[in-house]
Amino acid sequence: MLNRLYRWLDLRYGIGEIAEKELTGYLLPRNINEWYSLGSVLLVIFAIQVVTGMLLMIYYVPDADKAFKSVSFIMNEVPFGWFIRLCHAVGSNMMVAVLLMHMLSTLMMGSYKAPRELNWVTGFTLFALVQGISLTGYLAPWSQLSFWATTVATNSVSAIPVLGPTLVEFLRGGKLVGPATLGRFFALHAAVLPVVIAAFIGAHLFFLKRTGISAPPFGRDETANPFEAREYHYQGHPGGIPFFPNYALQDLSSISIYFAVFLAVVFFWPNMPFTPDAFVPADPFKTPAHIKPEWYFLANYQTLKIFPSELLGLSVQAAAMTFLALLPFIDRSPERHPLKRPLFLTLAIAGILLWIALSVWGHLS
Amino acid sequence: MIRKNILAILLLAPLLFLKPAAAVAAEQPETVCIQCHGSMPDRLGAPVNLWRGSIHAENGISCNGCHGGDPKDAANAMSPQRGFLGAPKEKDIPAFCGRCHPGVYKDYLASAHGRALGAGGPTCVTCHSNHQVMKASLALINEKSCTRCHSFERAKAIRDAMSGTEARIVGISGRIAQFQVSGVDTEKMGKALFAVRNRFHTLFHDVDVNRVKNESAAINKELDKLDAALKVIDDEHARRRVVGGIAVAAALLLAILFHLMKKTYD
Repeated sequence: MLNRLYRWLDLRYGIGEIAEKELTGYLLPRNINEWYSLGSVLLVIFAIQVVTGMLLMIYYVPDADKAFKSVSFIMNEVPFGWFIRLCHAVGSNMMVAVLLMHMLSTLMMGSYKAPRELNWVTGFTLFALVQGISLTGYLAPWSQLSFWATTVATNSVSAIPVLGPTLVEFLRGGKLVGPATLGRFFALHAAVLPVVIAAFIGAHLFFLKRTGISAPPFGRDETANPFEAREYHYQGHPGGIPFFPNYALQDLSSISIYFAVFLAVVFFWPNMPFTPDAFVPADPFKTPAHIKPEWYFLANYQTLKIFPSELLGLSVQAAAMTFLALLPFIDRSPERHPLKRPLFLTLAIAGILLWIALSVWGHLS
Repeated sequence: MIRKNILAILLLAPLLFLKPAAAVAAEQPETVCIQCHGSMPDRLGAPVNLWRGSIHAENGISCNGCHGGDPKDAANAMSPQRGFLGAPKEKDIPAFCGRCHPGVYKDYLASAHGRALGAGGPTCVTCHSNHQVMKASLALINEKSCTRCHSFERAKAIRDAMSGTEARIVGISGRIAQFQVSGVDTEKMGKALFAVRNRFHTLFHDVDVNRVKNESAAINKELDKLDAALKVIDDEHARRRVVGGIAVAAALLLAILFHLMKKTYD
């Protein structure tokens, strides 16, 4: 039966040729490692976020008077609503965590270098967009945590000279966070950002397919990047391992490990994405004592606090983000092995330690 | 060399702008009552230190909360025009406290203690102390305190009848709070417990042993219903954890299976 269906489709659409080109004949470097599978894990996470987000939209009401109750209804009354909501909330945290790991492996293996500059730029933009979609989603439950975290986050924009106050008002839809802010953030969270993220994922995969996958800088192959900017050249890997079944099984193995961790958090640590303020309805007249952003914004939050002016704090962050975004155009050496790039390795480790230290400081402050 | 120096300066320059975290914290301003009386000796200063260890201080109720006056203006802080009441006479103490605790005031007046007001009976401060006001709890019904006026026998019988109920209320309250911070809709249970707790608190000033015993039994029946509702949630969460454990184990097994399958192709 399956054979007949295959022959029927192959006769009309040549699916055998596609499978040969994209699966069994798509060769990957023999020394490819597990870190390369994080891209597939991220695709799965994004798909879960989209599906759970759509399911939540069935009962969620993006109205300041009804949002909190609708989320409570989902958590308590809708069959498996608690599971869907927790998957969405935990998934957003996991997406940032896996994205950071994916970017870190790209940095360490020098995969951002020529000819893959745009792979990095689109990936980095995706990182910023994921932070944006997390921030806008944070307001959706209209809890004390949502309300005040959004107030603090949008307020920091006011430090931008001249345009700051206007930008804050534009973001909030008024002088203060209110029903108009919820409307804007919900539209961004559920309609605009998912489409933009999907487009950037498409661009990221397009660049990956056009340049070919990079070989790890350690193991069997040469460490130097063979790219020479003379003419377009697809980096194939003759004698490599086929994507299907070899690396597809690695992808499935990594995805299963991800699911084990993800489900462990959902079932055994369901409070991970929340603080007690997340279960109190938003009250603009009652500021909670210790409102903190999500863990991945703690370093930014602490940076704003330690500089005497918010503008300086924002400028330092903007400079660091621009530096990272443009890294492939700054670091032009063809060497990709981390141990043969001592300056890079020192800066990278110092940067990671600084980020962790600022995050811990932000959490404890 | 110059490039390295510039790089070092650029990397370290932001540190010059750091400010110590301690500088961020601001001191809470004190009322003028505390500022003046806090430095006074003996009778006029003692209430400040006593107040610091009170349930009122814990909940941010300062001197002016009871005695009135203007806590921001030292010159007129004790001016009757600014609502200063001063210290009440003994027979006025229950009404003085009752401005904020009207329910308790009503229960007290209805009790044997309240009926003896002005005839040697106890007032609020006899048991709860003044300035170092102690939180209403069964610990206040103790031999040392009660035997100042009468034998402890009846008081002990009342305390024994109520202590189990109080422990249950505290336990259920804790469980509800725990569920509330994990997204469970505890509004109905919270309201029910609030009503039960209020009903229980009316017994605190009752000295009729039989009524306390009967009422405690009725309150316990209400607590049974809350216990049953909490057990349903507990069971549901336990079921979720079992399903979660199976799901996590299945995902790990799949990971191992895929890894072994991949090995066969290597």
